Amino acid sequence: MSVDDPSAGDPSVDELLAEAQRQLTICNSCRYCEGYCAVFPAVERHTVIAEGDITHLANLCHDCRACYYACMYAPPHEFGVNPPAILGEIRRATYDTYLRHPRLPGWLARGERAGRGLGGPGLPEPGLPGRRCAHHGLTAAAGLVGALIVALVALTEGIGALWAPRHPAGSPYGVISYPALLVTVALPSAWSVALMLRAAGRYWHDTHGPLRDLADPRALGRALGYAASLRYLRGGGEDCSYPQDAPSPVRRRLHAAVSYGFAACFAATVAAAVLQDFLGSPPPYPPLSAPVILGTGGGIAMISGCTGLIVLKRRSDPAPAAGAAVADYGLLIGLEALAVTGILTLLLRTTAAFGLMLVIHLTTIVVCIAVAPYTTFAHFIYRFLAIMHDNLAAEAQRAGVRPGPRTGPDRSRHSRK
Amino acid sequence: MKEAAPPTRPPPPDGDGDPPWDVVVVGGGNAGLVAALTARRDVPRVLILERARAELRGGNTRHTRNIRCVHGRADAYSSGPYLFDELWRDLCAVGTGPSDERLAEITVRESETVPGWMSEHGIRWQRPLTGTLQLGRTNRFFLGGGKALVNTYHRTAQRMGISVAYDAAVDGLVLAGDRCTALSADIAGTRCQVRSRAVVCASGGFEANIGWLRRYWGDAADNYVIRGSSDNDGRVLAALYACGARPAGEEKGFHAVAVDARSPRFDGGIATRLDSIPFGIVVSRDGRRFYDEGEDIWPKRYAIWGRNIAGQPGQIAYSVWDAKVSGLFLPPMYGPVRAASIGQLADALGLAAPALTETVAAYNRAIVPGGSFDPAGLDDCRTRGLDPAKSHWAQPIDTPPYYGIPMRPGITFTYMGAAVTEAARVLRQDGTAFGNVFAAGEIMSGNILSTGYLAGFGLTIGSVWGRIAGREAARLVCR
Repeated sequence: MSVDDPSAGDPSVDELLAEAQRQLTICNSCRYCEGYCAVFPAVERHTVIAEGDITHLANLCHDCRACYYACMYAPPHEFGVNPPAILGEIRRATYDTYLRHPRLPGWLARGERAGRGLGGPGLPEPGLPGRRCAHHGLTAAAGLVGALIVALVALTEGIGALWAPRHPAGSPYGVISYPALLVTVALPSAWSVALMLRAAGRYWHDTHGPLRDLADPRALGRALGYAASLRYLRGGGEDCSYPQDAPSPVRRRLHAAVSYGFAACFAATVAAAVLQDFLGSPPPYPPLSAPVILGTGGGIAMISGCTGLIVLKRRSDPAPAAGAAVADYGLLIGLEALAVTGILTLLLRTTAAFGLMLVIHLTTIVVCIAVAPYTTFAHFIYRFLAIMHDNLAAEAQRAGVRPGPRTGPDRSRHSRK
Repeated sequence: MKEAAPPTRPPPPDGDGDPPWDVVVVGGGNAGLVAALTARRDVPRVLILERARAELRGGNTRHTRNIRCVHGRADAYSSGPYLFDELWRDLCAVGTGPSDERLAEITVRESETVPGWMSEHGIRWQRPLTGTLQLGRTNRFFLGGGKALVNTYHRTAQRMGISVAYDAAVDGLVLAGDRCTALSADIAGTRCQVRSRAVVCASGGFEANIGWLRRYWGDAADNYVIRGSSDNDGRVLAALYACGARPAGEEKGFHAVAVDARSPRFDGGIATRLDSIPFGIVVSRDGRRFYDEGEDIWPKRYAIWGRNIAGQPGQIAYSVWDAKVSGLFLPPMYGPVRAASIGQLADALGLAAPALTETVAAYNRAIVPGGSFDPAGLDDCRTRGLDPAKSHWAQPIDTPPYYGIPMRPGITFTYMGAAVTEAARVLRQDGTAFGNVFAAGEIMSGNILSTGYLAGFGLTIGSVWGRIAGREAARLVCR
């Protein structure tokens, strides 16, 4: 730990877990929020909330903040209950924990600080990329990747392709050869996918257990539906209390724009691959082709979604937020850069700037893919697995496998004040 | 917090040049908000004087969860009909029955249209959650509880152009004949007079005023826990009495439940109440039982335990249970005291070990064998030849570890308040009403409740009488 360790003064993970336990015990004695989302019914399945459950609850929390504004025990009340903030802190620690090994390469993680990872079973001591210094690493990485791609251009199509792309105009292969392009993108993708799969496996092992449960068709169907519809950004039908107290659908819609925009861009790539490799139609593709329509639509959706979310985040009430949200901005800025460079590449594909623009876009893609697991991007894994576990637990409860909140003679325990 | 905690607006006009407000509502809980929203439909200038600062606004309403209203049939939020006659019977069955049958009858009758009115003003209801929660029949649950309700009403009020002043403590009425021309108040540290054509007092009970409670309860009041806002000191009620308002309701009337003795003195709310009582026994500080813990199902009996404990020496009692039933009820916020033997439990709770051991032994011996324990209904597990008996859910306390929790009376709100007419106008000692002073909510609940309590009915009173007071106040101004 260096002297200017940015984590100095931060609470330890144990302290965070103890605080979450304290707050959720109050929640479990109150239960007014049980209509908002899955977190509170999940809390109610426990008489005592164990630390292991808290990781799961933290990832099940979608930060809709409805409970914070509804809580009569929120600060300045002496009970100081603020679930979105404490669960957000723990969520962040989760992201760090389950990607811890292998770490970011040292040169990318200069200024690494002692970690705040969650000490799960069988997990080694924490150590994670320092967030404050990560942008130095990112800049270096982007420079390096850009240089590599330029080198590949020089090696395959000649350096002149940068300002005078070969024919056909607008085809990426006029700038960089297909194999070189494939390797450039496939290598970091494989790395990231492997990392995220590994993280998913470890998280599932710690919060749930049997891998085969992931194949439970009912739970899987529900979880996919909930994730696709962003159900827990609806605050129990009332929508998120975001950016301020008043419920609003804006955040959910912007999030949907980003995620579905991202999916459309991915689909554009797949469509291009199908056209090229199976239908024998190489790029460039006309404006009314599947790759261009999907890519353009997806890119515009991502740009508007990311811009909106950044604006919203800046306006949001800091009280229920978990610490500094630099990492979250990082993801939004990264996605926005992807979309903007992609759209520019498309717009400029018949001009002399195409070569350079393509290199910039490729660099952005490679860097974003490579660092994705270390950013909030990976949240979808934990969220999905948390929803999955929650559905399995709820199903088990319905089937009577685990005792539910039995309230005895007090059947209508709520009908009190 | 910008939305949840809007800045305190500048003190309302108090100079002679400004026109008086049409309606000023004293108190920003459910009754006050409902009164303001209702009045605003007919008159343009409505002001709410909220005693708390914005973050803690809403008084006792912050701790509410549901409302009890008459309804003809089941819907998405209630499991079956609850007709006038049944609610009326339930109301008559608590304590010594309604104080004023006419006003109680209005409350029950008008409750039928309250849920619809609440929905129109933005309130959302909680659906039953699949598999886990039963739907109530008699009570409807609003999404997120009372603070969410207060926030929703405030947003609606803001849209309708109702003004709110926070940190506003009213302590006097300026009278001209039978009319109140202005309220003396301290708003954010500034003394002022708020002039108004009509006034609605919806400022709650006086339960947070320990000195006032002591007048009727003596030193015992020092041992009461106040479950709601510490702002409910009865200042407005005292001002009404000083102006000649006629009291209504029992001096000692209040709604009180058993709460954890370790709770904060004020504002602990729902999280501090205890549900362990029917699962074990309750002893006083001398280690003896004093009341049938299994008399009836808990929702019907929970509200008598505050008073039961208030009647015990030192206003303290101890709930004791064993491992068999542990986990069958809502977990207590502070966790129970735990011990390997009854003697050790007594020591840990500060009770005399021989006394508690003897009480548990006598209780265990008196249990009729062969009962089948059913926490979901009135079962046949009972005692014989024990005084007081335990009529249901009586199982031997014989499985370690043993658990116990010290309990205090937790006062929710006091009943004694201002007598009102059927139009919510505050009555004077001579039987005539003030010309333009109305009351709604807990401050006039003594007109309806005598000693007992019916879960969710406090909000019913506030909503019904808030509407009446708001409507009548506006009507008076329009005339």
